[in-house]
Amino acid sequence: MIAARPVGVSFGSRQVLADVSFDVPSGQFLCIIGPSGCGKTTLLRVLAGLIAPTSGEVTADGKAVRGPARSRAIVFQDYTKALLPWRTVAGNVALGLEACRVAEPQKSRRIEELLSKMGLGHCAGQYPAQLSGGMQQRVQIARALGQDPQLLLMDEPFGALDAITRQGLQDEVARIAAEQKTTVVFITHDLEEAIYLGDQVIVLAAAPGTGAGRIAERITVEIPRPRSQLETREDPRFLAYRHRLFGLLKH
Amino acid sequence: MRGAVIPSVLLILWEAGSRAGVLPPDSTSRPSDIVRAFAQALADGSLVRDTWLTFEAALFGFAIAALLGILLGAILGLSPRTERAVGPSVEALRPIPAVALIPLALLVFGFGVRMEAAVVAFAALWPVLLMTLSAVRGVEPRLLELSRSLELPFWQQLVKIVLPAAFGRIAVGLRLAVAISLVVAVTVEIVLNPRGLGHSMIAAQQALRSDLMYAQLLWLGFVGWALNKVTQR
Amino acid sequence: MRRVLPAVLFAAALIGLWQLAAELKLINPIFFPSPGRTFGELYMQVTSGRLWQPLGATALRMLYGWLLACGLGIALGAAIGSSRTAREYLEPLLDFLRPLPASAIIPVAILFLGLSPAMSTAVIAFGSLWPVLLAAVHGLKNTEPQLVELCETLEMRRSQVLAKVALPGALPDILSGVRVSLAIALILAVVTEMQASLPGLGQNILLAQRSFRSPELYAGIVVLGIMGFLVNNGLLLAERRLLRWRSAAV
Repeated sequence: MIAARPVGVSFGSRQVLADVSFDVPSGQFLCIIGPSGCGKTTLLRVLAGLIAPTSGEVTADGKAVRGPARSRAIVFQDYTKALLPWRTVAGNVALGLEACRVAEPQKSRRIEELLSKMGLGHCAGQYPAQLSGGMQQRVQIARALGQDPQLLLMDEPFGALDAITRQGLQDEVARIAAEQKTTVVFITHDLEEAIYLGDQVIVLAAAPGTGAGRIAERITVEIPRPRSQLETREDPRFLAYRHRLFGLLKH
Repeated sequence: MRGAVIPSVLLILWEAGSRAGVLPPDSTSRPSDIVRAFAQALADGSLVRDTWLTFEAALFGFAIAALLGILLGAILGLSPRTERAVGPSVEALRPIPAVALIPLALLVFGFGVRMEAAVVAFAALWPVLLMTLSAVRGVEPRLLELSRSLELPFWQQLVKIVLPAAFGRIAVGLRLAVAISLVVAVTVEIVLNPRGLGHSMIAAQQALRSDLMYAQLLWLGFVGWALNKVTQR
Repeated sequence: MRRVLPAVLFAAALIGLWQLAAELKLINPIFFPSPGRTFGELYMQVTSGRLWQPLGATALRMLYGWLLACGLGIALGAAIGSSRTAREYLEPLLDFLRPLPASAIIPVAILFLGLSPAMSTAVIAFGSLWPVLLAAVHGLKNTEPQLVELCETLEMRRSQVLAKVALPGALPDILSGVRVSLAIALILAVVTEMQASLPGLGQNILLAQRSFRSPELYAGIVVLGIMGFLVNNGLLLAERRLLRWRSAAV
């Protein structure tokens, strides 16, 4: 479980986030949505422990977050800069295991397991540059899962992918999160993606005047899982959530 | 500002070390003695004269390299057929270390500015030639068609269209060549040519004037650094 | 075949012209031996085995200095490149030392070490240090920040980050620095041999010049050219193997 107790972040005199607080119970899926420049990525980095909040604090399982930790894995948006180009797919997945000091033969077994879980078994020996964007993003997810995280932080992971690839990966992330009972914080600028994936959706918006990001709205998505790309998106509740949040995202 | 900290500390340690007698006095003159030797060499004109001699040979060699490099590079770049025939022969000369030609240049020209300039020219030719070749190849093909359709003679095509269009990258090659010219000129002087800064350093070393030698070394460092700054403009 | 024919013909014509000019004594034969005499001399040196000792001496001299330079350059470069503070204090100094002709420290080295093999190694190591050092600083400075954050979330130690992420990422830069530095090492090996009369190809060609044995001089230059070629292309080949991932693309 991860919680933000009114978190504020300033860079110098510029306030980026103000008064952001939420609770995500273990195993839940939180989606954060907002227009660009409202501090979404900053919030994710605070949750990861890469940035210390200027005010307030983040707690994971009741303990204050003081820095980055293996129990909180990140999947970056820009996959071209988040994988080691000189390592093969298997080698990239191994990086997380090496950091956790997993020894052979468990290591090879884990790599194989992670690759097949993410549908990467056939390209274990290929280099990232040889793969499509969707496949590279799968490698990042496999590497993150390798560190056995309690919390998975995803920063617009599918923002650069085409619609079909994106939907396939959405279902896969939802399945894996449910299977492993991992808590997920997922940042996106796609409203439908947020409602489709989330148990909770938080809308961030820039406050008039200061421009600092704050919570403009939060909803609990009460659509049962597993969800389906076709039926869920036609569910009247889905459409109602969409109506309710749509207006907030307009500039 | 911070960049000045370490050199200053080293200088102070050096001065203190030689005053305290920790450093061997023959090989490590005191910084204060070096400054005095520098002032003296500047006052009696020997430093300026040596610098000029080195520059003379470097410039002479550079000029030959620049002319030949641009001309050859432009011809090879404009005509793929010539390049295919001549390129490999030219390429075969490139890996020869320029200093290997010092004895040959000495044999042909004897001591003096000409042998030094010859070695400099060989070393500085390659960056100019290669950059010109690739720059000319990169010239917008429509510009070349235009110049051909105007039926300009080859020289005018070269001077009016090709070289101006390729100038940016040729300049990069020329800048490299300037730096190489100074380095090679000094090297030839140190090895055997009895003129210029390089020779003076060796002479100072042999005369056990290590203060003067260090003064010349620092001066050479400054000249190289300044030349670098000037050509980067 | 049709593609290489012009090149072969041109080279043959060049050598033919050279032979002709030498036979007709158009140029003074004291410094212009015919290709026949030059390559004959080279052939004799190879068959009699007289070539190998000086060749080996020069190659070893070059390699010792170069290996020292690589070790020092990569270690120092990694230390400087991965620390912003170190860069602020040292980069201006490096900037000043870089354009200094490597051969200019020969007098200093002679002062400390005399006309000895140690002097030669010191000069080669110092002169060929800069390309490696600067390349390593540059490569490590530009480590992808997102990868550094990734390492932080993986709680990797500094040494692990260096070994697994920063150094491999800087490898393309370092390898090209290493290649430049080997070319400089060869030049300085020849220069110091001439300067300090140390056995090797550099001294041999200088002695050949002093006694007007021009075929020997030319043969020496040819051998040094071949060495330069092998050294550069050998490293290019190694580079291509080590950086195979770069050419891997969709």
